[in-house]
Amino acid sequence: MWNKKRSLSLSRVCVLVFIGATLAILVAGPWLVDWLAGTRAEAQAGIPGYSTTADPADRGLFFATLYTGGAVALYLLVQLYRLLNNIAAEKVFTDSNVTLLRRISWCCFLGALVSGLSVLYYMPWGLVAVAAAFMALVVRVIKNVMAEAVVIKQENDYTI
Amino acid sequence: MPIVVNLDVVMARRKMSSTELAEKMDITPANLSILKTGKAKAIRFSTLEAACEALDCQPGDILEYRPDPEKP
Repeated sequence: MWNKKRSLSLSRVCVLVFIGATLAILVAGPWLVDWLAGTRAEAQAGIPGYSTTADPADRGLFFATLYTGGAVALYLLVQLYRLLNNIAAEKVFTDSNVTLLRRISWCCFLGALVSGLSVLYYMPWGLVAVAAAFMALVVRVIKNVMAEAVVIKQENDYTI
Repeated sequence: MPIVVNLDVVMARRKMSSTELAEKMDITPANLSILKTGKAKAIRFSTLEAACEALDCQPGDILEYRPDPEKP
């Protein structure tokens, strides 16, 4: 029978899977960058003035985006896991959870910034930037709601 | 906070301990302590009723309004 405890466990497992996937992507970075830089060269094939082989400078830029974004993503996932642990320990409406949500939203904004800057050399990063900015906004609103809930709970706790 | 809870005063007059009062009011000693120390943000009418019944007093004996000196 599906219940809250199993739902929470599923969420924690998913976060752990994402952490694993992020680490795997970071380890496989060089091959991933070669592939990304290669696709960019292919896209530019036939355009006068553009090289059909992957430019070493491109690889450097892709590395910068991948590893900066990856570090931010890892930090975000760790905060998310800590949030789920707090919920599992029945510490839901607390100031520390508001702080964790704030950090998560700032990570999304940072990811959006990194991706947004990366548009300068590879347009598809723009999609990642928009998605990350949207998530940052959603998480920020959730943080605001949580902060109000903390105030209401404290008021309720001190109502005798 | 402008509303002051004078439970201590009434308890001393009735010579009642915190444990005894908490038991009569059917609240935990911890919650009674919150009331006594002025940390409570609100009190339910049912709790106020229980306090008045246990201490044989009026709400005005327990609750006092002292305006904030900074407010006009």
